[in-house]
Amino acid sequence: MILQGKRVALPSPPVVHKQFEGHAGATPDAVAVFCAGQQMTYSQLNAQANRFAHFLTARGHGRGTKVGVCLDYSIDMVVAILGTLKAGAAYVPFDPSYPAARLQLLLGQVPDLVLIVASPATAGLVESAVVEVIDLGQLSGHLAGLPVTGPDVPVTGDDVCYAVFTSGSTGMPKVTEVRHEGWFNLLNWLTLEYGLHAGSHNLVVSAFGFDLSQRSLMMPLFCGATQYLMASRNFDAAMAYRMLTQHEIRVVNCASSTLYLLVDWETARGGDALTRLDYMLFGGEPLQVERLTGWARREGNTCTLLHQYGVAECTDVATSYDLADYRPGEHDIAPVGRPAHNTDIHILDERMRGVGAGEYGEICISGTSVGAGYPGGTGPESERFTTVVVDGVPRRLYRTGDRGHVNEAGDLVVAGRMDAQVKVRGMRIDPTDIERALGRLGGVRQAVVVVGHTDSGETELIAFMVPAGDDLAEKDVRTRLLESLPRNMVPARFVNIPRIPLSPHGKADRAALADEFRNQCAGSATTA
Amino acid sequence: MIVDGVLAIWRRELQRDDISIDDDFFSLGGQSVILANIQGAFIEELGVEVPVDQMFLNPTVASISAYIESLGTVTQ
Repeated sequence: MILQGKRVALPSPPVVHKQFEGHAGATPDAVAVFCAGQQMTYSQLNAQANRFAHFLTARGHGRGTKVGVCLDYSIDMVVAILGTLKAGAAYVPFDPSYPAARLQLLLGQVPDLVLIVASPATAGLVESAVVEVIDLGQLSGHLAGLPVTGPDVPVTGDDVCYAVFTSGSTGMPKVTEVRHEGWFNLLNWLTLEYGLHAGSHNLVVSAFGFDLSQRSLMMPLFCGATQYLMASRNFDAAMAYRMLTQHEIRVVNCASSTLYLLVDWETARGGDALTRLDYMLFGGEPLQVERLTGWARREGNTCTLLHQYGVAECTDVATSYDLADYRPGEHDIAPVGRPAHNTDIHILDERMRGVGAGEYGEICISGTSVGAGYPGGTGPESERFTTVVVDGVPRRLYRTGDRGHVNEAGDLVVAGRMDAQVKVRGMRIDPTDIERALGRLGGVRQAVVVVGHTDSGETELIAFMVPAGDDLAEKDVRTRLLESLPRNMVPARFVNIPRIPLSPHGKADRAALADEFRNQCAGSATTA
Repeated sequence: MIVDGVLAIWRRELQRDDISIDDDFFSLGGQSVILANIQGAFIEELGVEVPVDQMFLNPTVASISAYIESLGTVTQ
């Protein structure tokens, strides 16, 4: 089974910052970015990004190197991203809300990292003995003397534009690289498919490290619109809703769980800031469509809901579906639609053969979206990148590990994972990564992390711990884990257990653990 | 007292009574949905929009109450 995306020719070279530069030339006085009451026009942003690019090239950084960006959402962040691309280098987002220990672990995973851009508030988090850390506060004076015209570094579509962290199954997070051509293709597809234009102003509501944030950051700059940033490290429903009310924002990209928060906010308090939008693009986890239907049917609602699917390894979004076409009850799961331009979806069996129409298999992606992979290209995870022959032509293909099928209407439906990997609020999470952190706490002999569901159907992590001595206090374990893991990886519940049940194969029996937890809840009247 | 109003909101939204003013929101199992509900309740019941970042920096009833008090805008 194969779903083929439309074939669309891209300019040469298909590099994202050239598209931005085109707008800077055509509409220099249009506002490019707005954050915390400050703004910068296209020509100002272009000039400042050029200076930043000169700063990098003067130090010998460019194609083949990576620049870490550990900044809060700000105009400076956008300057650093565009400047890095203009220098021919790739950027790596480091979320400054992460604990320093986690950031240190992450930056050790990035080969060719030559520099980290930080701010006075974030520099301490990424202090490094091996990588130079530049404080933007001290940099501004330095940039002032540099040329405002670009260094004009030749960049090809095959060069890496950014790399983001993704979970694997080995217990260690790793970076996956995205190519300019893939990113350009994604933004070009969304722009053409949905008629985005210079008025398609966008509000970024997702965390910086998230792959969808890279698209959300660049999309308005790709179509000549304004990028609105929230001066907040964490998703802030009140602030987001206030900005949507005060500014002419037309587009929001987010994880489905963030969409519920926004919809709940508007439903509870009235207002029409969301229903007035042109588009909300979301996905990353099973959609609870019933949480949207009441709001979606409100009179005068002009907002088109685009349910999307993709993986970080293949430039974030691979398919898109207009939920207006969805009749709840018709299918069990809301579809994620059809492929991006120049991108194909394959449903393959375990021997890499196409399954029949409607049959389930592993979702695989080929075409322009496929990224450059994991740097180094070794290890079991790299085998997910392989080759497939389509119409006699070999194409790179990525096996996502997601399970799905193509329905009668010809739309992709995602039905979970082929392995134990889980998604919580749109972020792919490797339970062994959390188990490792639990093991390091001391007092934990063994730990197994499984997925449960709340009463409202949301995914949550449950940690089962075999204590080395006395039972471990939930509060204490959680507080200590927060020192080494991002918040979304810290389990919602902790359960002490005398031993981990094993499956006949001698592995932890995750299904038995989930049952055990349900029994405990049923027997406990105090469980919230 | 602001702290009484904040504590009542926390107990209601976290659906538990065993909360003291020095307990950490996240150690109590607090998550994004509850955080947004608490933020909304602060607006409606205390008349103040507390940035979520401040709720992360002040994750106890005692500390967020002190923050709200420092704004000096609460009408009670």
